[in-house]
Amino acid sequence: MFDNFDLMVAALGRGAWTTVWVTLSSYTIALVIGTILVIMHVSPALPARWAANAYTQLFRNIPLLAVLFIMYFGLPKVGIVADNWVWALLGLGMYTGAFVGETLRSGINSIPLGQAEAARSVGLTFGQSLGTVILPQAVRAVIPPLGSLLIALVKNSALVLAIGVAELTAQSRRLIEDNESRFDLWGVVIGVTVSYLLIAFILSYLVRLIERRTAFVR
Amino acid sequence: MSRQHESTVLFDALGPKGRRNSNIASIISAVVILGVLAYVASVLAGEGFFEQSRWVNPLDALVVKTTWIPAILDTLTAFALGAILALVLGVVFGFGRISRFGLTRWASTAYVQFFRALPLILLIWISFTIDGYFGFTSETLGWSSDARRLTFLVLGLGIYNGAVLAEILRAGVAALPPGQAMAGYAVGLSHGQVQRLIVLPQVLRNMLPAVLAQLVILLKDTSLGYVITYPELLHSANIIGRDYSNSFLQALVIAAFIYFVLAYALSKLVVLAERRLRKKTAAPAARVHQIEQAAVIAE
Repeated sequence: MFDNFDLMVAALGRGAWTTVWVTLSSYTIALVIGTILVIMHVSPALPARWAANAYTQLFRNIPLLAVLFIMYFGLPKVGIVADNWVWALLGLGMYTGAFVGETLRSGINSIPLGQAEAARSVGLTFGQSLGTVILPQAVRAVIPPLGSLLIALVKNSALVLAIGVAELTAQSRRLIEDNESRFDLWGVVIGVTVSYLLIAFILSYLVRLIERRTAFVR
Repeated sequence: MSRQHESTVLFDALGPKGRRNSNIASIISAVVILGVLAYVASVLAGEGFFEQSRWVNPLDALVVKTTWIPAILDTLTAFALGAILALVLGVVFGFGRISRFGLTRWASTAYVQFFRALPLILLIWISFTIDGYFGFTSETLGWSSDARRLTFLVLGLGIYNGAVLAEILRAGVAALPPGQAMAGYAVGLSHGQVQRLIVLPQVLRNMLPAVLAQLVILLKDTSLGYVITYPELLHSANIIGRDYSNSFLQALVIAAFIYFVLAYALSKLVVLAERRLRKKTAAPAARVHQIEQAAVIAE
């Protein structure tokens, strides 16, 4: 059933590696964008809040595939050209950034007002109450949902095959449509499934580890 | 607006000086944001992005009639069928996971965990490819190729989102106070009656916002029909872009705008449902909200 097993493993391994690094790099971009968005969201400046809201609504309501197409196929028409992996990272990062921003915001909102009032009433300054009371609690509250965003990003990263980045799904597609049909269909299907399950399993294990490290008794 | 004058977790209620500072910050940020937008617009205008002919051609009455409207209808068809299948699978496997029978529980858990871990694009495309390997192709079944594409898109959307919805519903059952079911047993209802008459209605009502939010994602995911050349919006935008190569970006932007309108309307429905259904069940609102957040993010 596993014809040319070594070739298949090599190809899927390359794809899995691409999936992992695309996921992790675009997640870093998403974290940066999400942090900027949440700062704009909570700032007292009204236009900044509007801009953050507009960005979030835009990326929440447009399919990721449309975002990638506009970037990779559309923008060259107005003279903006870049390699496909650049658009893959930027597209995934900007799209996920909107969701990261919402997650961070709900993390801050999850802290009862009494916590801030208590911090102020014992005389902590803005920086102190933010750094020692609000943020430590908010960060712990958002780690599990940020973790599920990371797992979702592994799956979303498969879409970059549409702009020609050879990640895991693209590799399995290449193997199945192999010209000399050297690979067995079910072997590839099992291989790609196991690869995705493994990636998701390892990443969610790491997330749980961080979660446990930062956990505290309320 | 009024938010600036009351305490939030981050800021104490602003005094006169704070209000002045926040006004200054508002003006500065407005200038910066408008500046960035103006720069982007001038770059786009310099490349002829706003040229009238580039927008008029893909929005020609004939193109609208022969391509855009059928594309919207095909997108909505895939969405409606996928949503129905996902809801049915979600209820079946969501309650299967908390069944009294070990085998049902095991099978439902396997289904949910397996299909939630795989990318939807892989599910749609592999099932579409595998078709012929079973010895019966869609040709032998007498399907048109369009019906075949729709079938596999709907199957992929339904199976994947069914697994996600099953998780949402299970979380809803977990959030319901156990006293509800106990009260049902106490007045002599059978297990099935308790589930059907007490648990399910409250769970559906509690989790409706989360379920609708997932349906917004399902609507956006219909764009994955592109990989099996189902004639949905994105695919049609590409075809129009090929016919009018000067308007390729414009066609994609129009498609993205239509998606935006559809998804935004659906998510407004979510807010409406949330407002109407609050405080009607036994689950504490805060707990439900927390679960919703988790579920929405979990995708």
